[in-house]
This record gives sequence, structure tokens and C-alpha cells, in this order.
Amino acid sequence: MAQLEIAELTKIYTVGNQSITAVNSVSLNIEKGEFVSIVGHSGSGKTTLLSIIGGIMKPTSGRVVFKGQDISALNDDSLSEYRNEKIGFMFQFASLLPMLTVRENVLLPGLFRQKRSGGDEKKAEEFLNLVDIGEKVDAYPSQLSGGQQRRVAIARALMYGPQVILADEPTGDLDEETEADIMGLFRRLNREEQMTFIFITHNLDLAKMAQRQLRMTHGVLAGI
Amino acid sequence: MKKEFTFFAFASRNLKRKPLRTLILIIAISLLVAAMVFSLSFVSRVTSGIKLASERLGADILVVPAGSRGAAEDVLLENKAKSFYMNKDIMERVRAVDGIDKMSYQTYLTTVQGKCCDVPETVVVAFNQDTDFVIKPWLTEKFNRKLQKGEALVGSESAFNIRVGLVEVDSVLFGNVFKMVGVLDKTGTGLDNALFIDDVNLEDIIRKGSTDLRPGQVSIIFIKVKKGMDPYKVAGEIEDAVVEVDTMARKDIGKSILATLRDINRIFIFMMALIALLSGFLTWAVFSAIANERAREVGIMRAVGAKESHIVTIFLTEVLIVGCIGSIIGIIGGTVLSLVLTKSFTIMKNLPLPLGIMPRVLIAAIGFLIGNGVCVAGALAPIQKIKKMEPLMAIKSE
Repeated sequence: MAQLEIAELTKIYTVGNQSITAVNSVSLNIEKGEFVSIVGHSGSGKTTLLSIIGGIMKPTSGRVVFKGQDISALNDDSLSEYRNEKIGFMFQFASLLPMLTVRENVLLPGLFRQKRSGGDEKKAEEFLNLVDIGEKVDAYPSQLSGGQQRRVAIARALMYGPQVILADEPTGDLDEETEADIMGLFRRLNREEQMTFIFITHNLDLAKMAQRQLRMTHGVLAGI
Repeated sequence: MKKEFTFFAFASRNLKRKPLRTLILIIAISLLVAAMVFSLSFVSRVTSGIKLASERLGADILVVPAGSRGAAEDVLLENKAKSFYMNKDIMERVRAVDGIDKMSYQTYLTTVQGKCCDVPETVVVAFNQDTDFVIKPWLTEKFNRKLQKGEALVGSESAFNIRVGLVEVDSVLFGNVFKMVGVLDKTGTGLDNALFIDDVNLEDIIRKGSTDLRPGQVSIIFIKVKKGMDPYKVAGEIEDAVVEVDTMARKDIGKSILATLRDINRIFIFMMALIALLSGFLTWAVFSAIANERAREVGIMRAVGAKESHIVTIFLTEVLIVGCIGSIIGIIGGTVLSLVLTKSFTIMKNLPLPLGIMPRVLIAAIGFLIGNGVCVAGALAPIQKIKKMEPLMAIKSE
């Protein structure tokens, strides 16, 4: 059984009288520990697909099954637990909360967990060091550059050891050197922790680092 | 030092982001609660004060000259210096009515400083010590003898005014010198401001001609009914038998004041409802704005695993922080206001027994609940709306 089974997934947006099919009957199986890239033009439906897999958007039809559990059938609490425990989401925009420090932003998913571990603060600092922003733990997002905020978001996504990382252009604001470091980190976590990575990129060179490369065109997914 | 990262810390930091907006909301809730605490304190104090005063008079029925109910209440509850008289022989006709156990009477004289008397304007109560059951319970242990002719007792409040205490003082009342020989215990009625003499002195007072009192006149007849008798029924029969008098059953004392109070109460309730509505509307407007401003943040929180209940907890914590601070300020403000303004209302000034701790605690609790309730009610709709948003839609809503 695949870790993620996506079957006949469709998402149709209605804007006024017009219907736009963002994702059109996408079916896809992803095994545990796969490293998958998705490329495609803007508006091709990549972000929508990733959002549905991550449980932050409901599909119009079709199913996303995680380890045998249809997430479209989950109630809000169970879906929230799925997002909190199984998924690490990296958005393509700055996604930090402005009133929280860097450390608190990384610890944010833990705030919504029933059990909170005493070692979380130390672990958060380790992840922040890993993404090379350890000296800014007590800074607020407004005191960071776009690239630094992106690194904090990466640390937050990795912090509680999710089984699947969904990353929407994770290295978009980063310089080449940091980009390479981050991708190296992803590869290492993928290899050592068997963490599944699905990431969207416009950078074909980055896409080629993935085991499996997918292209999305007008809502339809195809292998490269 | 690292700050603890909890929902409470989260919520309080959110409120600090827009301090002016938070302050306005707190002020609105404070005003609501202060108005409510003041109104409730006022109404409770007057109501309980009148009830207590009527109980402490110790009589079931008061008989006064026809048309003098208001004047009698003014003297008994507010110590207004008023005099009203009826012929003492009315007592015999009253006594003939069935159901009467005890009867006593009092005659009220009003002093005029510099003219007849050397004390500030007050009521002098002449009473019959043989039949009295109204004054006797308030005689202090120190004064355990009968008042003699030329002696007077002083109400607990008057004692301060005319400097009577441990030392005996002579005063001129209606051209006669009286020795102030003791102080009554606090009664919680208008009589605390009066002076008391035995009615044997009235003959001399009338002779001096410095009052409009005529021989054989009294002001009030106090009646205790026999056990099991209905005071209202007895009072009705007295009025039927003696047309020159009006009666007041114990529970009717202060009725006119309480009727006025009911009107004041309606105004208070209307004002409070209006302020509550405005505060609720303000809370709704502020939290609608907050929900719109933070839709993206809520979306991010939902994306990293926040449940609807977590979002509600965060927003409700903010609402309750505002509600609690506003309510506490309002309770303090309303209580201080009610204490300060006591001196501005004649009726409250002359109901010397202050509101007890328990009623104040109860009023504070009601104020606290309503302050927080209005806050929560106002914020409920925006919170419901924001918690129901799909995370991605919330993130994109900016």
C-alpha cells in the first residue's frame, strides 16, 4: 500500500459564473520515502494539488488516502491532527506569525498538540541552527529578511518530524548557496528519516534532484 | 528570560498589537459595568434600606392624619423636619377596632435654630414611655432608666452634630432647657437624626408658644396587631372606622419612594441595555476587524494543525482578557461612584446603613458576568466566521 494514494482528484473553482478546473482527475501514488518534484507554469494547479494533499483545501471530487485513511472523509479535528502530525507544509510566501518570535514560530505546531514535550525548545534551536538562523531565535519576523523567514518556515515544517513534507517553492527567496544547503538537508532527511518530500519548483535543475519528476499542465499531471 | 508560550500569552500579545483599539474596548466594557454596578448598588441600597427601616420601627401599622402619609415617610425615612398632627382621642376609636395588640404614639416637633432652639434643624420626638415599643429597643445599655422631665435622648447621627456623647450637654428646645442625657443606638431610620423627649414635656413646650402644636395632639400612632391578624385587614378597618386618618402597613412604608425608584430603575435598565448594545456592537465591530486582519494568520495556524477549538480558544481568551480587565475597572469605578454619590442623594444620605459586603459581592459578580457576557456575545459571530474558513481560503483572503 502506497503512503499516499491520490485517486481522480478534481478541484473546480467557481469565480462568478465561470468555473475553473484547477486540478483535473489527478491520480497518483506516492510511496513512503519518495522524493518527488512537481514543475509547471503558474496557474497549472500545482499549489492546489499540494494544498489538497496537505488537507488545507477540500477537493471537488476524488480522494486522498494517507496510509489507508481517506483524508477527505475526516472531520475537522482529525484533519487538523493529520496536518499537525503527519504533514509539514512549506508555503511559497512568508508564513510566520508576526507577534511570535522565531523560536515560537517554530514551536507553533506544538501549541496545538495534546502532548507537549519538554525538550521542544532545544530541538527548535537545533533545527534553527540546521537552517543557519540559530542566532535569531528571539527575533521577530519583521526583523528578518525574506530568505531568513523562509528558513524559519522550513525549520517549523521539520520540527515535529512529519512523515510527508509538502513544499511549495521552498527555496524561492534563497541564494544559490543556501538553496543547495536546504536541498541537501531535504535529501539527508529523506534518506535518513525516510521522510517523503513533494516539492514544487520552477527550477528544473532542482526538479532533477528528485527521484520522480512530475509536470502539471492545465490541471493534469504527467511524468517527465 | 524566555516568555512562556501558551494560548494566554498568545492572546495577550495579540491584544498588545493594537493597544489603542484594546483600550477603547476596555473603556467601553468598564463604562457598561460601572453604570450597572452603580445602578444596582443605588436601587439595592434604597430598597433594602427602606425595608430595613420599616422593619426596625417595630410596628405593624402606622396611623397618621389623613393626607400625611408622605410627610410621615419623610420624617421616618429621610428625617425631613415636618410636623403633622391629629387629635389624641382618635386613639380610643382606633383601639376599638378588632385585632389590635399594642398601641403607642409619638408627637413630632420641628426645631428652628436661633428661633426656638439652639440645635440645628431636626425633629424632636415626644413619646410616651409607658406604652412605647418603638424607641425602647434602641436605648443603649448605659441608659437603663426612664427619661425624666427636662431630659432628652439623642439619635445616633444627631449625637455628632450637637456634640453629645459621654458628657451631658444642655440645649434649649422650644424655650425649655433640656439636658441631653444619652444617645440611642443606630436604628437605620430617619429617627437617627432626631431628639427624643418624654411627652410630659409637651405641656411646657406648648405653653411657651414656640410651636404650632396644640394640647392633645399627636403625630403618629404605632400599632402592633395580635398574632395571626392580617395587618392590611386591620389597617383597612381602621380607615373605615376613623375617616380622619390614613394608615400604612409595615410593608407599605416607603411605597411612594419605591414607586419612584421603580421608574428610576426602568431608566437605569434602559440605559444599561443601550450601553450593553453599544458595547456589544463595538466588540462585534472590533473583532470583525480583527478576524479580517488575522484571516491569513488563522489560515497559517490551521495549516500547521490548529483545530477550530484552538482558534476559538485564542480569540475567546482575547475577548475574556478585555472583558475581565474592563469588568474589574467597571466594578471598582461603579462602587466608588456609588459611595461618592451617596452624599448627593438625600434618600441615600438618610438611609445610614450602607450596602453590606454580600450584596456588593453579588452586584460585582453580576457586573463581571454581564461585562464578560457582552464581550463574548459581541465577538461570537466573527469568531464563528473565522474558525469555519478553509485554511487555504483564509490564507488567501488578504
